[in-house]
Amino acid sequence: MKRPSNNLSLCGECHPEIAANYKKSLHYTTIGQRNRVIRRMSADEAKIFDEKVFETSCRSCHASCGDCHVKSPAIGGVSLGLISKHKFVRKDEGKTCAYCHGGRVYPEYTGEYGGNADVHYQKGMMCMDCHTMDELHGDGKAYQLKEEVRDRPRCTDCHEPGRENKLTARVGHLKHSENASCYACHSAGEYRQCFNCHGGHSEAKPGFYIGTSPRNHREITTLRIIPTVRDTFKPAGIQQANFDALPNYWDSPIHNIRKRTERTRNCDVCHEDRKGFLTMETLLKGSSRVNLELIKKPKPIPVSQ
Amino acid sequence: MGKTKSKILVGLLALLLCVPAAAFAADTVVSADWLQANLSKVATVDIRKVEDYNAGHVPGAINVFYGVWAIQKAGLLNELPADDDLRDSLSAAGIEPTTTVVVVGSTANMAEKANNTRVGWTLKYAGVGSVAVLDGGMEKWVAAGKPVSKDAVKPKAKPYRGAFNKAVLASKAYILSSIGKAAIVDVREPDFYSGAKKLDFVARPGHLKGAVNLPTAAAYNDDGTFKPMADLEAMAKKAVGDDKGKEIIVYCDSGRVASIWWYLLSQSMGYTNVKLYDGSAQDFAKDPSVPLEP
Repeated sequence: MKRPSNNLSLCGECHPEIAANYKKSLHYTTIGQRNRVIRRMSADEAKIFDEKVFETSCRSCHASCGDCHVKSPAIGGVSLGLISKHKFVRKDEGKTCAYCHGGRVYPEYTGEYGGNADVHYQKGMMCMDCHTMDELHGDGKAYQLKEEVRDRPRCTDCHEPGRENKLTARVGHLKHSENASCYACHSAGEYRQCFNCHGGHSEAKPGFYIGTSPRNHREITTLRIIPTVRDTFKPAGIQQANFDALPNYWDSPIHNIRKRTERTRNCDVCHEDRKGFLTMETLLKGSSRVNLELIKKPKPIPVSQ
Repeated sequence: MGKTKSKILVGLLALLLCVPAAAFAADTVVSADWLQANLSKVATVDIRKVEDYNAGHVPGAINVFYGVWAIQKAGLLNELPADDDLRDSLSAAGIEPTTTVVVVGSTANMAEKANNTRVGWTLKYAGVGSVAVLDGGMEKWVAAGKPVSKDAVKPKAKPYRGAFNKAVLASKAYILSSIGKAAIVDVREPDFYSGAKKLDFVARPGHLKGAVNLPTAAAYNDDGTFKPMADLEAMAKKAVGDDKGKEIIVYCDSGRVASIWWYLLSQSMGYTNVKLYDGSAQDFAKDPSVPLEP
């Protein structure tokens, strides 16, 4: 059999539960990629997208059993080869995860994009110290987006609010718990946007952005640019009739967490300088109109406080 | 026993409790044999990436990888972390000012070699009393047939209360004001010192006015170990003389490789006033007002 580790049924002969769950998992279906963008399209365009774009592009790299446990998946036709000769590898996050998540998340975590490494990496933690096997293999439910998965890592799983040693940290957390994600203050940067490597769509070279979460308008958080522009799918004959239905920025779990950042050190960085916040000036030109809803202007702290 | 004698004894006891225990005496460059024989007396700190540490390390070594000790900041590649972050990292690693730390890294290339001494410099900056680097790094340990462990060691955290020694650090303003006064040492290879070549991230070629050249590659044998100390001392003497109290400031392209000669001069050869300019050519060459010589 050619590439036996790509055959889910074959693996399922010995690992039936994992294989059954995996078949419905987001890693295997990659349906999240489709659902993240499909609302931009009319019904007719969605059909074309499913046939011409999703199957040939999004689905082309994800993800058989062997793509994580035996070899690097072929991305853009390029494979980095076997992980450990012909041996099956249970986990080796620097390869099994980083082969696919090595464009942004993994180097961001290890600090290769600048600044410090994530504090969890500094303490020797790897991907699966937070992300569970069920999360990666799926739990048997056919989720449509990763946000639907309830059993995802949360900072508060380990860091219980109210148990901070320092009063300033306790007060800071209390003040911001309803309106800012942990990432908003504790992402150290620098992180890399798609545009930092993939030019061509825009002249903007944005870096670190904070703004209103498109999924929770009461919360500010770190935003990552989604590099879909109006003519992204033009070669497939898709005009994106409803382009403005979705923003070009999604809330992003930045994997570069530090106890201290310039924002935790100094309130004025956000409340006076608004450093790193999405603004009219930094908004992608010609981008979706709903992006305007993500611009947030923190208020100065009253002197009495 | 009279009250006076009791008070003296209590006073002496209190004094003894306040004085930190002396660090275990180690050379500043230690061999694999030495480290194996003294593993229980030192804190072995593996500075390689977590993935490499997990794949196999010196038994008992903790992992505090290079990126904890030197960070990219303000457009410069190898800068010190903030003091409070550095103090946190030392505390989490269970390192005290009296701990004897042996730094174990890779020696696969010049950058990796320099990581060892750059961490050594940072430890001295933070006030750790006794620091050594493993000669030849992890590659030499493995080649010597020493045991390798895959058991990750979780250090026991202790608050780090060392006094930082900022005299080992030179800023751009300081090095520029020291031209003509201190010995300025450019440790890059001759083509880079002369300006015939330059790295992409360095804005202009050439070296600081009056800087002498003490290339770093010459300090190593092919197996990544240091050349004999007598040979290294002869090289150093030729470049900076033998006045051990003379002020010396070393720099390179990004402040990493310069730590090699900083380490050898100050820790192994007894030069008592050596500073590292961590911004190095990446910093000064982007300032058009700084004159550079071919």
